[in-house]
Amino acid sequence: MQISHWRLRVLFAFFAIASLVLAGRLVYWQTAGRAHLLAGATDQVRSDLVVTAQRGMIRDRNGAILATTVQLRSLYAIPAKIPDHAAAARSLGVLLGRDPAPLQVALDSGAEWLYLQRRLPESAATAIAALGIPGLGFENEPKRLYPNDTLGAQVLGFVNDDGNGVYGVEGRYDAALRGVDGRLVVDRDPANRELALGLRHALPAKAGTDLTLTIDLVAQTAAERELAAAMAKEKAAGGTIVVMDPRDGAILALASAPSFDPARVGAANPEALRDRAIAWTYEPGSTMKAFTIAGALEERVVKPTDSYNDVGYAIVGGRRLNNALGRAYGTTSVTQILERSLNAGAAWVGQKLGAQKLNDYLHAFGFGELTGVDLAGEVNGTIRPLAEWYPVDVGTASFGQGLSVTPLQLAAAYSALANGGTLYRPYVVASRRDADGEHRTAPVAIRRVVSAETAATVRAMLVSTVDNGIAHNAAIPGFGVGGKTGTAQIAGADGRYLDDAYISSFAAFFPADAPQFVMVIVLDRPESRLYGTVTATTMFKGVAQDLLRYARIQPDRKP
Amino acid sequence: MIASQAIRTAPARPVPGRRGAHAIRRRPATTPRAAASARSRRAAGTAATWDLRLFALAAAAIVLGFALAVIYLSQATAVSATGYEAQRLSATRNELRRQNALLEVQLAKLDSPARIAADAARLGMTRASYVPVIAAAPLRAATH
Repeated sequence: MQISHWRLRVLFAFFAIASLVLAGRLVYWQTAGRAHLLAGATDQVRSDLVVTAQRGMIRDRNGAILATTVQLRSLYAIPAKIPDHAAAARSLGVLLGRDPAPLQVALDSGAEWLYLQRRLPESAATAIAALGIPGLGFENEPKRLYPNDTLGAQVLGFVNDDGNGVYGVEGRYDAALRGVDGRLVVDRDPANRELALGLRHALPAKAGTDLTLTIDLVAQTAAERELAAAMAKEKAAGGTIVVMDPRDGAILALASAPSFDPARVGAANPEALRDRAIAWTYEPGSTMKAFTIAGALEERVVKPTDSYNDVGYAIVGGRRLNNALGRAYGTTSVTQILERSLNAGAAWVGQKLGAQKLNDYLHAFGFGELTGVDLAGEVNGTIRPLAEWYPVDVGTASFGQGLSVTPLQLAAAYSALANGGTLYRPYVVASRRDADGEHRTAPVAIRRVVSAETAATVRAMLVSTVDNGIAHNAAIPGFGVGGKTGTAQIAGADGRYLDDAYISSFAAFFPADAPQFVMVIVLDRPESRLYGTVTATTMFKGVAQDLLRYARIQPDRKP
Repeated sequence: MIASQAIRTAPARPVPGRRGAHAIRRRPATTPRAAASARSRRAAGTAATWDLRLFALAAAAIVLGFALAVIYLSQATAVSATGYEAQRLSATRNELRRQNALLEVQLAKLDSPARIAADAARLGMTRASYVPVIAAAPLRAATH
């Protein structure tokens, strides 16, 4: 058989051209296309991950965990690998407490990979893992947990879905709590395991700062228990309890209602996302009389034994300012003004002090300005500038009308009276612990408002108010208590006071001899109206007795 | 190698039974052909020696290379295995830390005063309305 030369030539030419094409392609991939190939190959083995920093923990003053971040397992599915979607959906439905139908719809959706439920409770995740269903897997995801559920929610705030702290301590200290994310670039094998001999570039994450609060879990529990009971009984629109240590401004408890569950913030009433202790203002009413008298005593324009003739009202700036219920008491001492909570008496003292001095003392006690508490969302209340005062305002301001305060401002001001005359900045973070060690918060004394002598005199008057006066319901057997009730009217939309709505409050310190606690209780629109102060003093006793017992404070009186 | 040594040493070895030792040192009378043959044999002997050396060197290099490759592979395998083991231990450590964090949360839940109060109420306990406190009398030294 003779081989055709032209066929050989064609075959040769074909192979020659094919070789040239292949060689050209090879040259292309080795030169111009090299970077693309290299990137593709690198992508197959290299992972570049952000290592999320562990968010700092929040503890109470005794070390009990108030907020922490843990890794919870999220359940994912690769539907193609699940042999029986219906059976898997039934099993998962039971363990997840969900209707199996939507689960099966999700599995039948044609998705290659999907989450079935994120951040499962550990028990459910363990039970699902034990089923051993092929195509199901878990991935860890961080979750902020609050072991005490709603307790202290208004102080703590919450962390949103993006991992940002919002509100309260979580919001105020978000930058410190969140830490600094790290980065990990590493080569992996097909099983997604890190290759020891491959590239490894790690920038470790810097964990967030741990915070220890001044909040005491026992005090907070007692405050929230009493507040919840009062809210249920009085069907009040809102309420708050602030407990402070007057010696340094540390906040021991801060309860506010309505409140929210940090684990279900989305379902919360917007009004519940406002901490009434710091972000809500009200006309304080008679609780302010103590500061009017303190200013007057400090300026020596009155003495505790000075008296006036109470006719049931006072005329100030041409306006008639009545006592509550319009009662007249005749000759009345300054101490009795507090004991009987007389508006006319407070107006008399206020006039003796004068508008300028009264305005100065209100500011000196911290009203009308931010307390500087380390919580997000504080408001400053209103003390109108003296230039805007009408003549009658020196009378109304003397008994707490025509101005607005926050419950925390009132607590800080009463603390100044309780500790001997120094106004402290309230604070909730006692210490911060990070990689550099522990940093304790130093109490900040803002200013001396009145002398120790004046403060002691006002304290004695307030103790008398509980022992002999209008706040007798707050008396605790065996312990001296000083305090003052307040019933304030509420201004309507037209600026006139409403007839049937009040804000009841009670501010107190105890034990009287050496006060360790100051408590302010406020109820917004209690159902019992003028008798809301009785509920407030009952709340006070409930919390105070727990605190005294818990702090192991010896009685300072014979019961 | 044995043949090479035989070729190299054969002319120098004295033959027993010959007349005297000096006969060995004397240069034997040779013809030009014989001399050429001797040179050729010496050249062949030298070339064979170099071949053997090269062969030995190459063999040693191959053995050394093989040994190095085996050592490298065994080291690389050991590092990889250790890496996988370290990764497994790291994952175990992380899981234990996770479990520990969950247990701490559970402990905090169980320690919560609100939970304890609720459980106490469920067991029928009620809060004492008043808790009397007995003040201790100041201590005095015993006197007669």
